[in-house]
Amino acid sequence: MKIQSLAVIFIIIILPISIIVSEYIQGQMQTLRLQISYDSKLDDATYDAIKAFQLNTVNSSSSNYADSKLRDIEASVNTFFNLIATNFNMAGYNKDVLKDYVPALVYTMYDGFYIYSPYTNTLDEETSSQITPGTDTDIKYSDGIRVTGLKPYIYYSCRYTTAAIDVVITYSLDNYVTIQGTVNGNAVNKEGYVLDNLTATKDASGNITSITYRGQTISENEPLQQERVGNAIYKYIKINGVKYYQDIDGSWFSLFNGTKLKQDSMGNLTTDNSAYRLYEEAVELRDFIIGNGLNDLTPNDAVIPGDSRNIEDDNGNIVYSFTGEEKIFDYNTTGRSIEDSNSNFNQHRLAVIRYVIERNLSIAIANYNNYSTGIMTNFQMPRLKEEEWDSLLSNISMISFLQGLNIGGKVYNGYSVVNNNKNEEVVTEESIYIVTNDNYYHRITDTNLVADGSNIIGGVLNIDLERKQIIDTDIGNYNDANGSIRYYYPKNYLACYNCIVGQGSINNIGDAKSISQYVQNTGNATLANVYYTTLARERYSMYKVSRDSITFKNSFKVNH
Amino acid sequence: MEDTLMIVIAIGVAVVLMIVVPFMSMADRTDDVVQLTLETALSDFVTTVSTKGEITQDDYSKLVEKISATGNAYDIAVEIQFLDENPGKKTSQVQSTKIGENTYVAIYESQFLEQLDKNGKITLKEGDIVTAGIEKESKSLADILHDVFLGASDNSSYIAVDSKMVTTNGAS
Repeated sequence: MKIQSLAVIFIIIILPISIIVSEYIQGQMQTLRLQISYDSKLDDATYDAIKAFQLNTVNSSSSNYADSKLRDIEASVNTFFNLIATNFNMAGYNKDVLKDYVPALVYTMYDGFYIYSPYTNTLDEETSSQITPGTDTDIKYSDGIRVTGLKPYIYYSCRYTTAAIDVVITYSLDNYVTIQGTVNGNAVNKEGYVLDNLTATKDASGNITSITYRGQTISENEPLQQERVGNAIYKYIKINGVKYYQDIDGSWFSLFNGTKLKQDSMGNLTTDNSAYRLYEEAVELRDFIIGNGLNDLTPNDAVIPGDSRNIEDDNGNIVYSFTGEEKIFDYNTTGRSIEDSNSNFNQHRLAVIRYVIERNLSIAIANYNNYSTGIMTNFQMPRLKEEEWDSLLSNISMISFLQGLNIGGKVYNGYSVVNNNKNEEVVTEESIYIVTNDNYYHRITDTNLVADGSNIIGGVLNIDLERKQIIDTDIGNYNDANGSIRYYYPKNYLACYNCIVGQGSINNIGDAKSISQYVQNTGNATLANVYYTTLARERYSMYKVSRDSITFKNSFKVNH
Repeated sequence: MEDTLMIVIAIGVAVVLMIVVPFMSMADRTDDVVQLTLETALSDFVTTVSTKGEITQDDYSKLVEKISATGNAYDIAVEIQFLDENPGKKTSQVQSTKIGENTYVAIYESQFLEQLDKNGKITLKEGDIVTAGIEKESKSLADILHDVFLGASDNSSYIAVDSKMVTTNGAS
């Protein structure tokens, strides 16, 4: 056979093979490209949804209340679907189709979380009988029908039982806990921050007379804070999530979604003792825990099913086990504070939060298989990476899942985790800025704050630097008869160029296990006092669902 | 005679292998680069609008310029969804600009261009949604080669789409 013939035969064999291999690789590349594109669309939609939640809550003075918060989350869910539909619409998917590929959306809040997913509506006989057959309500919400919506709020809580103790402890994204149940047969209900480094002086009858935290004496009578509303500056006190402003004539008002709401029963408050109260509550909680033997509780006392006592990472390694015998409330451990990130308490707190989210979410996604129609996908919860859990457990976040879309070579199974650090829900150690007398605000780790504390004039919460809006015509020196929306900045400070705009002058917290410890290590007493007071004030004045608003508000008047 | 036929076939195969295949491959890679350029340009435009809270004639012209530089003809479709300030729900906690609850009023390409030409810019507010897409108008070299040699090309109309929510109010 001649060389030409051999060449042609060789090419006849090789050419189809190379074309097929080339097409296969092209297909794989296309699949990868689609996957990246879908990841990006999902990230964008999730980011915008949590941003919508932030904007809605910062501008809403009623967002703390449960029904209003539900509205804000539902609005955020709508934004998510709107954005994801807009992003995918031109690629051939529309909103209704895409809904079938989203098994769950999760909103992690301060002390619990919401899951948005389908569920079977269950009504009792009495409620069912009140629905008129054939109406819109009957079609959408009758007994046994599939409804897609927010499921009831799930707390980050865990039950512990010993011979004498049967309590449920609800954890939060910071050190705040609520303890409810029975100890030695007596009902208990206690809440507060788990802190040590506290020294309390008590009088003969056991009442606390002074408190120092990390060596700083906390003032019981801090002056009222001041901020802008519109063009005018008012003194204010924040109680249970609501700011009460003192008007020019001495009367009090609050803002209700941008309009003025008179408060007739505020009395004559002249000082704010929120910070002091937080530490006082922390001392009482510590005494309560130690006094009732709750400090002997161990992870092994947690009531958790035997098959899920280990928490594993995405490689299958055990990162925490609910079988340990170490004490959860490890107060007064030599060389370590209970507030440290590596304390038994904090390790256990994060493990409980992670366990509760993981378990409920897996169930919701697995159940989605019963609700999905016409989609041949087995919906399963993907394993989140450790850094994603770190992000989830540090502030409020949103997790979105998108599964089952055909992307050529395989079925798309993606999720997105987006964290939000400017919200009304959580006051983290990083969310407090320090204000200096040149009207600039600084990150707490700014190197320039360490050496000299003489120019420090106060602390500020990051969301108070965000723009707000008012509508009313007679507040803030606006005389606008039209009642149009006006924007203003409550705390009108400038961002430090070196530590906020750029990151050139920021200290690493080094060996410190928390920012509070870093501040203590700086040795700057003014900085420490301002920081501890501001952090405590802002944390104590946050809305807490367990507090009765009216009683709590009145307690401030009694104390002054 | 047999030798001549083999030589002709060999020459034909050689031409295909040495000219057409590399040429198609090169055209495909060029299309990939163009696709990336278009996606980047579109993403830049949408991100700028989302963070600035306004669409200026300058931003739009830059987008058109970047897209035209690829040498093909494309149609740019911009859609803006304005958050309607009429409350979406009747409740005592009404907030006039609840993102995600209130309805949207959309304007499309022709209205968008008309407003942009008239005012030089379009001011947006928090919660508005801007979407931009690029649609093929002409066939690229890779499309033509695919049509000729394989009898099929990728005929999907939109080759890049991006959408974002506006996160700041534009200066009026």
